[in-house]
Amino acid sequence: MPKKALWLIIFFTVLFILGINLGDLDYLLNLGNTICLSCIGVG
Amino acid sequence: MIALRWLVQTLVALGTNAYLLFPFGSVIYQGPLKAVCHPGLNCYSCPAALLSCPVGAVQNFAASLRFAMDGGLPRLGTMVIGYLGFIGTLVGRLPCGWLCPFGFIQDLLYKVPARKFSLWPPLRFVKYGVLIVLVLILPVALVDAHGLGQPWFCKLLCPAGTLEGALPLIFLKPALWSTLGFYFWNKITLLVVIIVLAVLISRPFCRMLCPLGAFYSLFTRMTLVQLEFIEGNCVQCESCVRYCPTGVAPYRDPNSRECIMCLKCLDACRFQALSFGLRRPLPAPRPRESSPA
Repeated sequence: MPKKALWLIIFFTVLFILGINLGDLDYLLNLGNTICLSCIGVG
Repeated sequence: MIALRWLVQTLVALGTNAYLLFPFGSVIYQGPLKAVCHPGLNCYSCPAALLSCPVGAVQNFAASLRFAMDGGLPRLGTMVIGYLGFIGTLVGRLPCGWLCPFGFIQDLLYKVPARKFSLWPPLRFVKYGVLIVLVLILPVALVDAHGLGQPWFCKLLCPAGTLEGALPLIFLKPALWSTLGFYFWNKITLLVVIIVLAVLISRPFCRMLCPLGAFYSLFTRMTLVQLEFIEGNCVQCESCVRYCPTGVAPYRDPNSRECIMCLKCLDACRFQALSFGLRRPLPAPRPRESSPA
């Protein structure tokens, strides 16, 4: 396995876990459950 | 391989947009799966969407960054960045070729019989501008009095949002009609332009404008899997170039940032000059032999 890819995988895994522990999961769930008015072009 | 890719694209597009109760319930799916991002571009406001959109998620985290910081909340969106970076490092732009529903729609549109054109190569750099300006900078920089920004890519450009989110929703919720203005008609115009372009040019949105493809392309030279060129087998017939949907010449650059790993070139090559598999680390340089004094 190339070393650079291995370090990147570790780095992004740490970022992912950090995000989960900082509450990103709840924010994303809340976001996904509301209609995106920007996507529709309202405003 | 081509048949397998069509099957995977169809299954993923249908499987991740499989909420069919939207006419009877709350218009869009609201459940635990929305905490997971789709690996491709798929609007989370699509009434049938089961997953969240990664580009929408990154923008919304960026848009609420100042508000969160002012309120003492360290909410940086690192979960989504980590998720996308992990995918990018593993397989690069493979999700564009195999998993993205909007990429699949463009592949279908390119099947429409018409005169075909190639894309002017410099246009492929526009997507990096879209990623930096519309997805990362403007949502943080342009904020209201409360410190909240807007997802500018969704608002100004995203054709997936218009096709999968806006059009079904305005038919399902007539109350929205009175609120439609400049942004809606701007997006409808862009959607029509992209649909016409997709009939004439292979994957124009992915190659020119997609910020997700731009992000994944940053990893194509270090992914765990790669396309490998076996020089001794190549007869320079350029069959791979003719079949490539993104105009890549795999024999010149098998790790091109434009390669979506659709693997059409593998089928096109009759001389086994291309293979796909795990990237092998470069061999360590041999120590120099010291010459006798």
